[in-house]
Amino acid sequence: MNIRADYFAGAFFMALGIVVLILGWDLPFGRISAPGAGMLPKLLAAMMIAFGALVALSSTYGEGLREVPWGDFSHAALVIVIAAIATFLYSRLGFLLTMPLLVFSLLAIVERRNLVMAAVFAVSLTLFAYWLFAIILKAPLETGMLWS
Amino acid sequence: MEVLSSLALGFSVALQPDVLLYALIGCLVGTLVGMLPGIGPLAGISILLPLTFGLDPTKALIMLAGIYYGSQYGGSTTSILLRIPGEAASVMTCIDGNAMAKKGRAGAALCIAAIGSFVAGTFGVIMLTLIAPPLATFALRFGPPEYTALLVLGLIFLAYMSTTSLIRTLLMAVLGLLLGTIGIDVVSGHFRFSFDIPELGDGIGIVPVAVGLFGLGEILSTPSRDVKNDVKSPKLRELLPTREEMRQSAWPIARGSVLGFFVGIIPGSAHIISSFISYALERRISKHPEEFGKGAVAGVAGPESANNAASTGAFVPMLSLGIPTGPVIAVLMAALLIHGIPPGPSLVNEQPKLFWGFVASMYVGNLMLLALNLPLVGVFVSILRIPYAYLYPMIIMFCIIGVYEVNNSIVDVWIMLIFGVLGYFLKKFRFDPAPLVLGLVIAPIFELSLRQSLIMSGGSWQIFLQRPIALVLLLISAFLLALAAWGAFAARRDWRAKMAEAEAGE
Repeated sequence: MNIRADYFAGAFFMALGIVVLILGWDLPFGRISAPGAGMLPKLLAAMMIAFGALVALSSTYGEGLREVPWGDFSHAALVIVIAAIATFLYSRLGFLLTMPLLVFSLLAIVERRNLVMAAVFAVSLTLFAYWLFAIILKAPLETGMLWS
Repeated sequence: MEVLSSLALGFSVALQPDVLLYALIGCLVGTLVGMLPGIGPLAGISILLPLTFGLDPTKALIMLAGIYYGSQYGGSTTSILLRIPGEAASVMTCIDGNAMAKKGRAGAALCIAAIGSFVAGTFGVIMLTLIAPPLATFALRFGPPEYTALLVLGLIFLAYMSTTSLIRTLLMAVLGLLLGTIGIDVVSGHFRFSFDIPELGDGIGIVPVAVGLFGLGEILSTPSRDVKNDVKSPKLRELLPTREEMRQSAWPIARGSVLGFFVGIIPGSAHIISSFISYALERRISKHPEEFGKGAVAGVAGPESANNAASTGAFVPMLSLGIPTGPVIAVLMAALLIHGIPPGPSLVNEQPKLFWGFVASMYVGNLMLLALNLPLVGVFVSILRIPYAYLYPMIIMFCIIGVYEVNNSIVDVWIMLIFGVLGYFLKKFRFDPAPLVLGLVIAPIFELSLRQSLIMSGGSWQIFLQRPIALVLLLISAFLLALAAWGAFAARRDWRAKMAEAEAGE
């Protein structure tokens, strides 16, 4: 069965609205004359549920989930996984170790480039960025736990 | 006369050698950002924002604004030579600009785009000079109800002008507003949706969200196999348009400049919308509409002028009202706030050097861009030859550094990654992320002014109808909503669908 893409999107936003309502249940709504911290989030969550329902309802003739072009999904998944690992390592290994690893991994794993070229490019780019940020612009780059 | 003396003060700031240098850096970086696919002005400015922390606010604003309007110039190069819009506002230039390039008129198309951009940019700055100060004086009358009504109008207008449906745009704006409520409630001190993460106490920053949605999100949905680098640089002598091409471009440039500026001052992704409207207008009034899509000069001159005038016009509400008209302006506002300067009606009087120095720098910046872009087109084209496979790892690296440097916070980098993934899926499901960013930015101002209005009135919503300015703004919002509903139900196909058709019907 090919579900319409907008059914999926609409249902997602409706679910998100419900989650926000649940998470913000304890926030005081207040009165109209003295609105509380929960008034706007709850009103917005209700609007999100309503708009999500409208998106789903208006999709009678929309494209199916399978017709959405997913050809780039494997590229996106690999890039985001590598970027997430780099983010995890960034505060641990610091800029000078993490960034060459990030660039090298993207070139070697995602782009299947020549390993030597990838390594040279990754190291050169990191050194250039270090020179630009740390030396020229005096921006404090993450040193990482290993170094500190 | 007062304007002239103020402008003289501005030029005394803008023409200082170090300020000129930062304007030049902004223009150059902006041109590159506009040219390179996968990194638009929003991501470019967000990534480079931390670099301005060490500068004084005037230089920081001048450099960042240079990136913004420089990107409008640069976007046309990729559109004309590669048929890839370097940034969203250049989509319409792809159609006829690339068709001109295929006919061997790439140089002329680039020259017309540059001249149009220069004329429109300069017109926009002149109008900004004349309009922003009196508007700021008028805005001093605004209280919380007027600000609430103005922000509602901004969101409705954005929804009305968006090329996606009204419901989808409003849904994105609501999501943005909701994200803007994360953090400590400034009125009651309650923590909202911060999940005991201290970094979320101050709310979600604009920079990680903008870089995630527009920088990383774009990279995730652009595999390198889809990006071609087959680009030929036009020779310098091929740059001059013929007399006939100049004649054909004169009126579209004039119309694009005026139209772009006025679309620009209205909230929404103005520089993108203005180029769409200009293209549709030029095609409609052309004696030869059949030439559009096949290399019509007006199809390049009009939209390119409109998007430049709009990007200048967008500064009017920012400088005079303190209201962002789009995500790029929102990030520029964030830059000013980081430097401890709240943009708004008091800026003209309290920071005259910054205000007029910034305005004057835009005159200079437009001249710089004209002088740089044409002779250096060969250099810029050689940058376009860098394989995308090597380019995007570099962009991801700069995204991480840029986002991290804003607050030295790894949580911000995680937020960027999450919004990168969200941006990817929003694109797949045909949602425009621009209203989300706008909602996020205006959420604190909107909530505060709404709550203040209700407290002022003792809980009566009629306060919005009893204050003339607020009433007018709300009536315009209601009119736009009614117009959008009419477009959807009666005509079934409105002008936005026709514009999308214009884009597709080359």
